[in-house]
Amino acid sequence: MRRQKARAHSDLRCFLHPRFLRNGKRGRAERPIFTKLFRSGGLLFSLATLAFAQTNPFAGNAQAIADGQKLFLQSCAPCHGATGEGAQGQAEGMHPPDLTRGQFKAGRTDADLFRVISEGVRGTLMPSFQSLGSDQIWRLVTFVRSLSAVSMSYTGDPAEGEKLFWGEAKCGECHTLGSRGGRLGPDLSRGNRRNNADRIKQSIVDPNADITPGFAVVTVVTRDGQTITGVERWVDNFSVRLIDQSGNERSFLRDEIRSVNRQMRSMMPGDYARKFSPAQIDDIVAYILKSQNKANMQ
Amino acid sequence: MKRLLWIFVAAFAANAQVTNDALVHAQQDPDTWLTYGRNYQGWRFSPLAQVTAANVAQLAPAWILPTGVPGNNETTPLVVGGMMYLTGPSNNAWAVDLLTGRKVWSYSDYVPSGLGLCCGTVNRGFAMLGDKLFKVNIQSTLVALDSKTGKVIWETPIDDYRKGYSNTVAPLVVKDMVVVGTAGAEWGIRGYVDAYDANTGKRRWRFYTVPTSGEKGIESWGGNSFKTGGGSTWITGTYDPELNLIYWGVGNPGPDMDGDVRPGDNLYTCAIVAIDADTGKLKWYFQMTPHDVHDWDAVADPVLMDVTVDGKKIKAVGQANRNGFYYLLDRATGRYITAKPYTKINWADGLTAEGRPILIANREPTPEGTLVCPGLGGGHNWNATAYSPQTGLYYFSSTDGCELFDLEKQEYVEGKQYQAGDAFRVPKDPQTGSVVAVDPATGVTKWKHELVSTPSGMLATAGGLVFTGDSDGYFMALDGKTGKTLWHFATGAPIRAPAISYTFRGKQYIAVISGQNLIAFKLP
Repeated sequence: MRRQKARAHSDLRCFLHPRFLRNGKRGRAERPIFTKLFRSGGLLFSLATLAFAQTNPFAGNAQAIADGQKLFLQSCAPCHGATGEGAQGQAEGMHPPDLTRGQFKAGRTDADLFRVISEGVRGTLMPSFQSLGSDQIWRLVTFVRSLSAVSMSYTGDPAEGEKLFWGEAKCGECHTLGSRGGRLGPDLSRGNRRNNADRIKQSIVDPNADITPGFAVVTVVTRDGQTITGVERWVDNFSVRLIDQSGNERSFLRDEIRSVNRQMRSMMPGDYARKFSPAQIDDIVAYILKSQNKANMQ
Repeated sequence: MKRLLWIFVAAFAANAQVTNDALVHAQQDPDTWLTYGRNYQGWRFSPLAQVTAANVAQLAPAWILPTGVPGNNETTPLVVGGMMYLTGPSNNAWAVDLLTGRKVWSYSDYVPSGLGLCCGTVNRGFAMLGDKLFKVNIQSTLVALDSKTGKVIWETPIDDYRKGYSNTVAPLVVKDMVVVGTAGAEWGIRGYVDAYDANTGKRRWRFYTVPTSGEKGIESWGGNSFKTGGGSTWITGTYDPELNLIYWGVGNPGPDMDGDVRPGDNLYTCAIVAIDADTGKLKWYFQMTPHDVHDWDAVADPVLMDVTVDGKKIKAVGQANRNGFYYLLDRATGRYITAKPYTKINWADGLTAEGRPILIANREPTPEGTLVCPGLGGGHNWNATAYSPQTGLYYFSSTDGCELFDLEKQEYVEGKQYQAGDAFRVPKDPQTGSVVAVDPATGVTKWKHELVSTPSGMLATAGGLVFTGDSDGYFMALDGKTGKTLWHFATGAPIRAPAISYTFRGKQYIAVISGQNLIAFKLP
């Protein structure tokens, strides 16, 4: 059987390595700035300088990630949670975004993250952290980036896994991955640092081990005795909306039904370990991780 | 003729001022809302009875005012003289014309970078005396505004926000003083209750909630741990003019989850303190959670109720504590009377005759996580409570369920978060919420209205109703006697603040903030 072990860092990261960037600057920094600005190509150069000023000097640097984590716990965790997945407890109502899936409303580059931390986001609860200074902000950016690095440590064959995912194993009937798939189960398009091979494997063989919030099973009994079971879209104090097993979304007012029951269990079949070999499950895991890594790094 | 009368009333109202006498007798005036808890006792009971169980279904918005400021709105608006005064997050405040629902003036101040905030740039409201309004700003200042114009009359620094101090509390006016508390116990502060001269902004006294060397209570702090002892005071207290005592709740010790670095009971954290209004000296204290390691602040409204226990009338103070127990104390002496759990608890096996919890072993946070009920937020958190002398019940919100408490050792760095752990939900066993009605004299739960999540603050009215809201944006009225839902309205944005009630042109209004919108409801 083929065994594959891929690296966590994409090629893109290598181009952003500080060594490349520092070398790029050093070559020109000896000339007086005014001379340069008035020479042909001066404008191009000053744009390049600007671009450098907004480039993460610590990208991928392990020490910066460790430093950034300390800063994160002190300055960011109160709202974003210690893991960066969003707050619990006191700050729960603030709805901070999940920072672990490589998808940021603020933009795509490290410079975008720097800007958001430094300036805050108007119209939201995100304040400015300018007082930390740019060195510390870059360390934070480096740490936040590291949160969305999906583990690429797997043993299966992603190509085989892809066939199974969309074919025999029917994963795609309920799960979205990338641009296609169903909606009954959690969207698997993006992962995070905690999403490793063991965790996914466990979810496949024992779906009840770790329920994704928002995917409880809801059973509504109507006044005429009809029972409708599906995945919750929401259950609030006065209404219920679910996706039934045919994939239809339906809303109910609590006043108009007999009962509603919400169970923290999975609707996913529990027989994958019996129907598929360990190697096949490893293949599915490999496909999911590889796809997530690609999506997170985009 | 009627119109002329209203013009007269309006002209008279425009000059209305809040006097000390009006504050002391606030309960007798059904038309206004003069202080955070409506009266000094903190009842949040409106004597208005136009809206009742029979007609509440007809309630509809009279007007909606978008404030335009994002963030959690936790304010209790004040109403006097045809105007409403409310504060918003991020150092904003407004005066609103009750006739039209339009802004008359706006106040705002900058929010500096480098604040240490657990829960956003929230603010819980104004206090008023004469024609001055008082509010705290998040960067630890106290400001007095001219109620006619919103212009700053004076502004006083309370503390240094770079060291983790911040202010969110609605001030309490006592005599000619403005009393405030501080937030920041997750940042290694040393908490206090402060009183400032209402005319000048000069500080009159400060009561530290954590003693220092040489003071009584220091023996409850091992080593130098008192220096970062926490004890914040972020919810408005109450006042008994006859006893001349101010009652204030004190928050958690710091660091929250690591008790090893602060051996002892950690006085006066997680306690109610009774402070002499003139001197700022401690009269008594009662500590609900000695040596707390679960962030169970005792800041919830200390509500003053006169109850009968064993045939004897007692001037009491009640509190739905974050640790899961409702407590009743004698408010003259601090003597423990009774306490009962109002939600599931797994950390104490009852209380001693003195009210000290009998601990169940191994409930401290650990690196692996310890399942404790209630969770970090409680039980009952800060959400304003209501006491109805009509039903004789005390109403408050509860979060029901457990959380995993995690310990992460941490060194103190000035101005940085110093919590040493966190609490996490259990995905398979999510917490739910409820409105709880207890008999304040016995602590016995009379009814519990279960909800999918924790409701906001409470308003009780003489119409026999209890109003509350939820984080999905439903504003609802419950029957005060039974807890049955009588009416709800989907406001479309989370409700975190308590509702208020007042009259305008003789009609009862119920107003509440939902998301960024102030909504005033009335009968058609």
